[in-house]
Amino acid sequence: MKVKRGVITGIIGPNGAGKSTALKTMYGFLTPSRGTVNLKGERVNGLTPSQMVARGVSFVPQNRSLFNDLSVEDNLHLGCWHFRRDRARVSRAMDRVYEMFPVLRDKARDLAGTMSGGQQRFLELARSMVLEPEIVLLDEPTAMIAPKLSRELYDFIATLPEHGVTVVLVDQNVRQCAAVSDHIYVLDLGATRAEGSSEDFGDDEDLKAMIQEWLDYEID
Amino acid sequence: MNSVLLINGLIGGVVFGAIYALIGSSLNVLVGVLRIINFAHGEFILAGGFLTYVLLTYFGINPLVALPFAAVLFFAVGYVLYYLLIPRLAHSDEPETASFLLMFGVSLMIVSVLTWIFEADVRPINFSFDPINVLLYTVENGYGEGRDAKVLVPTARLVALAINALIIVALTWFFYRTLPGKAMRAAIMNREAVQIVGIDIHRLSATAFGLAASLAAVTGVLLTLVVPSIDPNGGADLTLIGFIVIALGGLGHPVGALAAGIIFGLVEQVSNVMLPQAAAQMLGFMILVAVIFFKPSGLFGLERGR
Ligand SMILES: Nc1ncnc2c1ncn2[C@@H]1O[C@H](COP(=O)(O)OP(=O)(O)O)[C@@H](O)[C@H]1O
Ligand SMILES: [Mg+2]
Repeated sequence: MKVKRGVITGIIGPNGAGKSTALKTMYGFLTPSRGTVNLKGERVNGLTPSQMVARGVSFVPQNRSLFNDLSVEDNLHLGCWHFRRDRARVSRAMDRVYEMFPVLRDKARDLAGTMSGGQQRFLELARSMVLEPEIVLLDEPTAMIAPKLSRELYDFIATLPEHGVTVVLVDQNVRQCAAVSDHIYVLDLGATRAEGSSEDFGDDEDLKAMIQEWLDYEID
Repeated sequence: MNSVLLINGLIGGVVFGAIYALIGSSLNVLVGVLRIINFAHGEFILAGGFLTYVLLTYFGINPLVALPFAAVLFFAVGYVLYYLLIPRLAHSDEPETASFLLMFGVSLMIVSVLTWIFEADVRPINFSFDPINVLLYTVENGYGEGRDAKVLVPTARLVALAINALIIVALTWFFYRTLPGKAMRAAIMNREAVQIVGIDIHRLSATAFGLAASLAAVTGVLLTLVVPSIDPNGGADLTLIGFIVIALGGLGHPVGALAAGIIFGLVEQVSNVMLPQAAAQMLGFMILVAVIFFKPSGLFGLERGR
């Protein structure tokens, strides 16, 4: 699997295909038993998440990862952990993230756990942005949130490459993922089944049928 | 007469309660951040007490001087001990059970070392302030005609209480106002998410282990001021008190232990002076059972994410 700089790379596949496992391995939560993870030519498997953060990689996992009994501000502040001693950078990062997500400024003092599911997703995304990451790994960011917020989230994700951010987007929502991704990998049973740009996929009838099949699974 | 006894019980309750609160807070940091049931906690406290005893008895060093020394030394011990013991537990099939057994082993080791050096004797702590007691107030004719009842409190206990209060204020400040403190609370809420924001979980855990060991040792120093003797076999009781305070105050509330400690101390000390001994011993545990029964997350709820 290759992730190109400055664009969105999508990963799709049915439940249990290994999408989350792939992201966790890229982030250093898991060490691959075979194969390597390379970042800009450096072999990074075996590195810890905190070492990946130091290399400008941030991660929004599939499961909620907020600190529910800390305020929104504290949650964002902890996102600055890596550069916490650089006061100026911390305050710049906080200002920037509040500018990106003005709702969060209004809720700065609320406990993260009291916000709605969609707002919590935004907070997680915001927290992954305070680092000013070069690469963001997103695991099903819009799963189980209201359609309107989901659209807002996609709009936001789609703008990331303009700011020079490389995105790896894991998604169950094939259509939306294809719409924003420059390149897509299809995973199943822990391995890549197919890859290509969204246009390529449009022409591949077999693949379409396969995707249709997953979508059917998911509907019921 | 009863009023004097009651007042003594209340004062004792606050003095011991503050100590219990400290035990609960430090144990809470360990259980919360590391998810480790630390059976050796009482022995860490004893180790701090014996350090004070040795420094006082053989070197004439004032416990108040021993205190910051114990704090720093045991922070370092805890920090190093973490890296020696805990990360390899992760390779075990049952890390929780393994940690439980491991810390039980550590506790037995500390007890054997202590009994080896000090034998199984209770050692006296020969230290007092001048004046030895502080007169809080006098009840005129409290013990009948012409016999005033005086409420006297050992100066050492008041000093211990004052230091204890300072430490609790400092801890509260640390946990609620500083980023490393918030990171520790965050780890209590969601240990995985702490890694996601790029916190080195081992360093944070080692720091928490160091902090807990340091607080435990400081508790041991304070205990020598409150109880003028030290018993190498007293560790298990102290550990038990720590778990009672956690159960009352709620797991993961680093400072929620404060109220729980004071409540338990007050109940214990007041019932000690007001009730027959057997009843007094039972009362504290009855409260514990009642809280677990009616409010299993503790009086102050559970501070945890997900
Ligand atoms: N390459 C792989 N090698 C071994 N096990 C894998 C691999 N990919 C996935 N798994 C296992 O499959 C299960 C589901 O993987 P997961 O990444 O959660 O799927 P998804 O996110 O696509 O739903 C997990 O238990 C994971 O350990
Ligand atoms: Mg997944």
